[in-house]
Amino acid sequence: MESRINELLSVTEKGLSHLKALGADTARVTASLSVTHEFNVDSGKFSLFRTLFDRSLGMMAIKEGKKGVYATNKTDDADIVSAAEQCIAVAESATPDDAWALAPDSGHIKFHEENTGADLDRLFERSVELVETIKKNHPTIIIEQMIVTHGEKEGVYRNTMGALYETKEGFYGVDLMFSAHDGENCSSFFGVGVTTEDLDTPFYELGSIKRDLASVEKQVVTRPVDGKFTGTILLTPDAFAGFMGSIIGNFAGDRSVLEKTSIWLDKVGEKVADERLTVSFPVQTEGIVGRDNYTAEGFLCEDFTIIDKGVLTAFPLSLYVANKTGRSPVKNSLDCMVITPGEKSFEEIVKGIDKGLFVGRFSGGAPGVSGEFSGVAKNSFLIENGEITTAVSETMISGNMAEMINNLVELSSDVIADGTSLLPYASFSGITISGKTSEFEE
Amino acid sequence: MLRDIITDKRALFPAGCHTELRAQINRSRSVTILSGNLTGNSRVEVSGVGARVYKNGVWGFSSAAALNDEAARDVLAAAADNASFMDSHIKAGKGPLPFPSEGNLPLNRIIEEIPQEVYIEYLRRLDEYAEKNCKSLVSRSVSVREDSMEKMLLVSDGMSAHTAAPRSYVYIFMTAETPDGTPVDLFAPIGGSGIFTENFKFPEELFGEVDNLYKKLLEKRCGVWAEAGEKTVILGAELAGMLAHEAVGHTVEADLVAGGSVASHMLGKRVGSELVNLTDFAFEALGAPAPLPVCVDDEGTKAVDDVIIKDGILVGYINDRESAEKYGMEPTGNARAYSFSDEPLIRMRNTAILPGESSLEEMISTVKDGYYLIDTNNGQADTTGEFMFGISMGYEIKDGKLGRAILDTTLSGVAFEMLKTVDMVSRNMHWASSGFCGKKQPMPVGMGGPEIRCRAMIGGR
Repeated sequence: MESRINELLSVTEKGLSHLKALGADTARVTASLSVTHEFNVDSGKFSLFRTLFDRSLGMMAIKEGKKGVYATNKTDDADIVSAAEQCIAVAESATPDDAWALAPDSGHIKFHEENTGADLDRLFERSVELVETIKKNHPTIIIEQMIVTHGEKEGVYRNTMGALYETKEGFYGVDLMFSAHDGENCSSFFGVGVTTEDLDTPFYELGSIKRDLASVEKQVVTRPVDGKFTGTILLTPDAFAGFMGSIIGNFAGDRSVLEKTSIWLDKVGEKVADERLTVSFPVQTEGIVGRDNYTAEGFLCEDFTIIDKGVLTAFPLSLYVANKTGRSPVKNSLDCMVITPGEKSFEEIVKGIDKGLFVGRFSGGAPGVSGEFSGVAKNSFLIENGEITTAVSETMISGNMAEMINNLVELSSDVIADGTSLLPYASFSGITISGKTSEFEE
Repeated sequence: MLRDIITDKRALFPAGCHTELRAQINRSRSVTILSGNLTGNSRVEVSGVGARVYKNGVWGFSSAAALNDEAARDVLAAAADNASFMDSHIKAGKGPLPFPSEGNLPLNRIIEEIPQEVYIEYLRRLDEYAEKNCKSLVSRSVSVREDSMEKMLLVSDGMSAHTAAPRSYVYIFMTAETPDGTPVDLFAPIGGSGIFTENFKFPEELFGEVDNLYKKLLEKRCGVWAEAGEKTVILGAELAGMLAHEAVGHTVEADLVAGGSVASHMLGKRVGSELVNLTDFAFEALGAPAPLPVCVDDEGTKAVDDVIIKDGILVGYINDRESAEKYGMEPTGNARAYSFSDEPLIRMRNTAILPGESSLEEMISTVKDGYYLIDTNNGQADTTGEFMFGISMGYEIKDGKLGRAILDTTLSGVAFEMLKTVDMVSRNMHWASSGFCGKKQPMPVGMGGPEIRCRAMIGGR
């Protein structure tokens, strides 16, 4: 895509000028242009080639303490004027709140990635290669849907505090949804995604794609767990990330801190998890692509460790909630999670589990603010006497997330890198595992 | 404006190919008041044109974020190029897209703009009422979301249609604490098709909803954990609707059938008791307008009802034109796109289990030891039909009478097995339509049902 960064600089400059002329005391304008190419495979067959030419214009204005937000995808001069008027009208309708603010000046910075363009022929070849490899190596697998993309984007962020950030980036991505079949028996579906900067490596070898395909192939025949017991669950990195996302959102997010419903409200600086657990969001780490360089409030992203050796270091708060609560804002967009690995291999961890579940996916209800969870263990296997045995269905797991991370048994030395996270496998004890009971009460 | 951009472009359609050209505007307005603080206040408007071309069994699509002649020409050319790329590489060798449809549907309604202060003032008065009358809350929030899709579609077969579909909702969230200090929460969505001022006149109209939600939350905070295991349950109407959508509807979407869903080998077979009937409604349902009416889809097919389960037998799938031919069925208008930059996918519209003849009271009286599950905050299912619903409100049933409220739990089962255990269906009907169905793209959908009595797995401690 031909660079049009100067156009975006002009759009944001005009937008900010209009907002100020309409009375904004503090304001932010973002603009972007992007081109996305996408190949789709449905039911194992190539079906669609998409090309999307998109743009965006976002405005935020604070006028006399009142905040308004307006977003559109039109950037002509008349559209910029209209957007500024709409944004100010939304702000004027609000009630004043002194907590709304933007970050102090960080200057003019360019975040330009190299080689952002798409090699569409090579992307198509890699896509065909993945489909053919799956057919050859995993004959029971049906690809329900595969979406292979290249997205290229230029963007400009400008605010009244003096921040001016330019970005240019381009990434490839593959998202694969599949299940295994043998006659009328079939596994649950499973989804895996990877983001990558280049096409040097076959998609099959990236992230956990190969492992996940092999695992799902073994899930065609399942049985429910008998009865109910308390055991250990071993989570895949992806399932582990899902739990950590819920934990951070429930116990440390804006809403729970502002509403004071967080059960960690007074726990900053205190131990909230096993001392082997360290959860961080680094700005730059090998194996991570597609990171954000700045936050919506204008902070340049800095490394952020939310849990350091089991201790809660800080809440990842927006500037608004930080100002409302007298705490510090997070200077990180929490996009790329890294969890420090342990010392035992996946196989060694399995050997140490007498009775439990290897959980590939958790299908659970939205956990309440207390952290209580329960849901179905999908794409999962029973672990008995140190060995992974049968695949399970209709099997539920339940517990409390806050208690769970204090009951960490092991973190694996194996780490899965999917382009946006670096995560180990993790096992936790004290989880209720229940299958169909034989009782019939009527 | 949309019509002007689209209607004269048929001459630019590539020869010999099925082609769709669509101009579209998506609007959303959002306001949130969280414990008295106005934390959300935004308006979004996204528009553009998209074109899709079918060539010998493969598709090309392109979109641009502009509403003008140049953008329409560009996306038509790019979509044709993409279809040719796929055709040359894949060589699927199929014939023309079946089931052409003709017609001209004029714009069905105008979407009026509402000033932002109208939403804010309404919510502020509702929040003041909650603050004054719900003293035991530790937090509360009220939100408005209004969104709409306006589409102008032109299809090479001859269909042109200009449609507008707004919907608006108020959401009330409350959090209280159990006696041991554990937070518990509930929320209620209220609203439906139409712009905000059509659905909400005065905040006082919702004071009863606030009172009812607060009453349920006070019961819940003294609730008990459900006993885990397989139980006799009465699913509230909201849960029956979610079952219809998540656990059955998705498995019969023809693209997922082709991917090997459990429904792929169940057509014509029993999947539920004789009391179970399930339909995906188009624009009317049971003698009234459907919650989110659809008159034509984005392939140009006129929308009609799609009967999925009749007297417990699986009789149909949910199709687009291509899949309908594959499965020997008629397309019913289920190919829907969310945004101008989205291609049509096979989607549900208003999917419901149909009412029966029992009364809720009669159903409860028949349960010796079970649960009446009323509200849900989440639902997931997979192509095997195995589902999980988060249960946010429910009650024990002991010896035919409602007992204590229960704390958050989950309900799970396998749809086509669980539906065979349905032995009572109420004559009530409840629709929900406030959420988005997620399947590559979001999509507003309606889901509904009566209360049903069945066997299913309850989570618990």
